[in-house]
Formats: sequence, C-alpha cells, structure tokens
Amino acid sequence: MSKRSEAYLSGVPMERYDMIREGLIVLSVVTLVIVLLAAFFGTPDYPTVTAKEVATKQPLLFLDRSLSYFSGQSGLQTYGPPYTKDDQNAQAVFGFISPARWVGVVSPVNAQQDLAMKPLERIAVLNPEVATALAAYKQASPDQQQNWIKNYAVALKKATDDNGKVILAQGDYGPVAGLMNGMLKLARAGLLERALDSSALLPYDLNNTKSLLFLEGPIENRVAQHLNELGSQWGMTNEMGPYPGAWWLWPYAFLYQLPGIVNSPNADLITGLIMAAAFFILIFLPVIPGLNRIPYLIPVYRLIWRDWYRRSKD
Amino acid sequence: MNIDEKLQGWLKSHLTLEDVLPTQMPVYVNSMAYFFGTMTLSALMVVIGSGIIIAIFGPGWWHVSPTGHFFNSVHFWGVEVFYFGLVLHLLAKFFKAAWRDGRWRTWVIGLVTFAVTIFSGITGTLLQQNWDAQWNAVQGKDPMNALGLAWINAMDPGQLLTLHVALLPFLIVLFAAIHIGIVRSESPVRPIERSRKEEVR
Ligand code: HEM
Repeated sequence: MSKRSEAYLSGVPMERYDMIREGLIVLSVVTLVIVLLAAFFGTPDYPTVTAKEVATKQPLLFLDRSLSYFSGQSGLQTYGPPYTKDDQNAQAVFGFISPARWVGVVSPVNAQQDLAMKPLERIAVLNPEVATALAAYKQASPDQQQNWIKNYAVALKKATDDNGKVILAQGDYGPVAGLMNGMLKLARAGLLERALDSSALLPYDLNNTKSLLFLEGPIENRVAQHLNELGSQWGMTNEMGPYPGAWWLWPYAFLYQLPGIVNSPNADLITGLIMAAAFFILIFLPVIPGLNRIPYLIPVYRLIWRDWYRRSKD
Repeated sequence: MNIDEKLQGWLKSHLTLEDVLPTQMPVYVNSMAYFFGTMTLSALMVVIGSGIIIAIFGPGWWHVSPTGHFFNSVHFWGVEVFYFGLVLHLLAKFFKAAWRDGRWRTWVIGLVTFAVTIFSGITGTLLQQNWDAQWNAVQGKDPMNALGLAWINAMDPGQLLTLHVALLPFLIVLFAAIHIGIVRSESPVRPIERSRKEEVR
C-alpha cells in the first residue's frame, strides 16, 4: 500500500479481497440488466416533424408561420443574441447579469431574410409565377407591402382547409398570396429544409439551425403537448411516451413548474443560475457549516458501518 | 535529477501496485454503500462500449437496422442505469460524509464528472435525428442561449456529434480515472467515530 494509506489504515483490521473479481461480477450483472432492459423496452424513435408533413396536413398553420417570418413579425426577428443584434429581449436578472448579451451574436439569423426571402428567391428560379410576384412585392412601397400582409393575415385567420386546398376569401393581397403559396409548394415538395440550411459550406453543411428554427413554436408545441413533452409537462425529463428520459434533471424541470419562475421572461436564466448555485453548494458542501452536519444528524452511516461499530463495541 | 526515479518515488508513496490491484481491504468496507460506485463505473463501460458500436456505423444506422436499434437501446438503458447508480453513489458518499480526512478532492472531481455527463446526455439526446432530438433542440437552445452557452449550438449536429463522441467522453473517462485513482491512493475513508472531535473534515 502507499505510505499514506498505510499510515491512514494503521490499526484497522484488513480482510482478503479481490477487486478485479468483484468488479467483473458487478460488470456482468449490470450488463445483463441493461441488455434485458434494452431487449424488453427498446427505445422510442418517433419520426421528426417535417415541413412537408405540416404543409400537407396543416396548411393553415404552415402559412401562418411562413407569413410571420415573411412579414418580419416573428418572435425570432427580435430574439436577441445569439441570433439578432437588438438585445432588449435577451434574458437578464437584476438588469445586468445577462450572459446572452456578453456572448453576443454568434449564430446570426435574420428570420425575414433567411426563413422567407431566401427560399422564395430559390422558388422563383423554378416557378415564374413566384418570380413575378416576388418582383412585384420588392418594387412596392413598404406601406403597400404592409397593407398586403395585413389583409392576407386577416383573411388567413378565416381561411379554411378543404382537404389540403386552402380556401381564402377574395381580397387585396397583392403578390403576397402567391408568395405564400410558393412557400407551401416548396415545403410540400420536401425541399424547404434544405433550402433553408444552405450555406457557404454546401454540400457539406452539418448545421441545421435555420430549418430547426422554422418549425419551432406553435407547430411543434402542438406535437409536444400531444406527446406530453412540453416544459410545463416536465418535458425535458422524459422521452416521448412512457419512456423515462433525463430524470436526473428532475430538480431542474421542477423549477419550471413554479409559476413565479415559468411566467418570467427570464425563466431560463433564473433556473440556470439556481442550478449553477446548487451545483456550487454541492461542491462546497463539505465545508459549509450546517449542511456538512446533515450526515451526522441523519445517521445513515450507522447502518452503513453497523458491523464495524458492533465490532468496535466488542 | 532522474525523472524516472522521481516518478518511482511518487508512485511508491501514492499509488503502489497494492493500491491499483488491492488484495486486501479494511474490514469496514463491507456494505452496499461501496457497491454503487462500481455499479456506476460498470454502466459507464456499457455506455461507452455500445457507443463505440453505434459510432462505427454512424448516427443514422440505428434508425434503419434492428441490430442498430438494439445497440441504441443498450446505450439508452445504460445511461438510465448509470444515473441510477450515480445518484445512489452520491447519496451513499454524502451520508458517509466521505469527504472527511482530506477526501474533498474525490468529492469535487466526482461532481465535476457528474456535470460533464449532463452535457453528454444533452448532446446525445440532440443527436438522435428523430422527434425527441428535434423538440429538445429548439427547447434546449433557449436555456443555452440565456446562460451564455450559445457557442454550443443545440441545432448544429456537426458540433454536437464531435462533442458527444470525442471531447465529452474523453473528459468523463479522464475525470473518472482520476476520481478512482485518488480513492485507491487514499484508501476508503474510515467510519465516522462517535467521538465528536475528529468528525468534521
Ligand atoms: C462518473 C461518475 C462516477 C464514477 C464512475 C464513480 C466511481 C467511484 C468508484 C468506483 C469509487 C470506489 C467505490 C465506492 O466507494 O463506491 C468511488 C468512490 C467515491 N466517490 Fe465516486 N464516482 C462517480 C461520481 C461521484 C460523485 C458525483 C461523487 C460525489 C459528489 C462521488 C464521490 C465519491 C467519494 C467521496 C468516494 C470515496 C469513498 C470512500 O472513501 O469510501 N463520486 N467513486
């Protein structure tokens, strides 16, 4: 034994032991248990939600999202860092603790340009109607553009979906209706995601930021709610269905169930800071007066070492 | 100065063969409270083993191959068992006040390992290329962004993949090795003696 162990254990009776044998036994049992769990329960593999699927099955919802990006009114447009420069929406506590602001824009996304205009320009190459509409839209005054968008948005609220065909009342939408139809067609063709993620690294791009952002929000929330995975449903601690997930994050998910926290626009920062503080308390627990006495006050140790105490009594 | 001599000297006083491959243990090491660390380590081995198999065939494999699905399930349940063991291990060490007699380092490195595994779990979830990955990516990005971790992009599988299969497992194995190395070097902490004096630290 090392010199310090020898000093530390002086006077303690020793027993014969075979660490590797014991380790191998535990490893075999643990492996067996895991293999049985895997064989019996498998893993969930629920397919992704694609733009194609949404555009086909929920065209009104799809058009609503497309319009929000196109109009520049989406939440993403003013998200703040890491996507946009304006930082009034960056989460902060006490006004000045705002790591998002400190890190800044590391993954720039201009929702209007990246999630609407760029794909529309791609469609325009293939589709002359969209090309004409896009040209007309770009030539119009900003007021005119906003007017068309407003009219279309109002009409879309009352539009109906007849087996995938969108029925919209007559109105003054200018080229906007044609452009939104273009988005719908691109998505139905299954091409939207790739049209969004194209970057200077094509065809090697491994980054899906823009296509993942496109479907977030109302569209995915519906699916998540259905599968019991919303944050308010402890979503992050379970996989879909009856599968356990990251249950060890239970204390973290718990914070999101507290109305005072979850209703705050800074909820993510607050919960994150509480978890970081909890982690530091755990790290320093051995020297925190009071907390480091708990094992003495709840003497589980007597159970753990009961043989030893019985022995030293004798 | 002879470096080899120095190292030999260090090993002799800190980590002898008897520490690495012990043939005897103090008699107080005879309860379930010592089992969970080994259980955690065993589950970690299963997780790494199944992870290597999945890595060889690539992240898309398990969605199309029943064999791949099985290994993915082993990976998933391995993680569940790993955390089950880890939480019990942490509780056992807490109730033993196993940080006593200068064992604070073991406690701290254990927790740091724990923290790294959390990021392993997150990156792994985001790599599944299925609904759970898609949903957790857009959900998870907000806390990451708010906490100033935006440079780890939850929606960039290229970055997540390299973290998940290279850097994070390397750190976990390294920290776990240091953790267990220190435990073996210092030998298991002595039982709490009821004389109050030597209890703290
Ligand atoms: C990847 C995670 C971890 C692994 C693989 C691991 C593994 C082990 C093993 C194999 C042992 C020796 C056997 C035993 O006493 O159970 C041990 C001891 C120990 N572990 Fe961990 N551990 C991990 C995380 C942690 C955490 C999170 C903590 C506490 C915060 C912790 C605290 C300790 C302490 C204090 C000891 C020394 C026990 C003694 O002196 O009797 N470990 N660990």
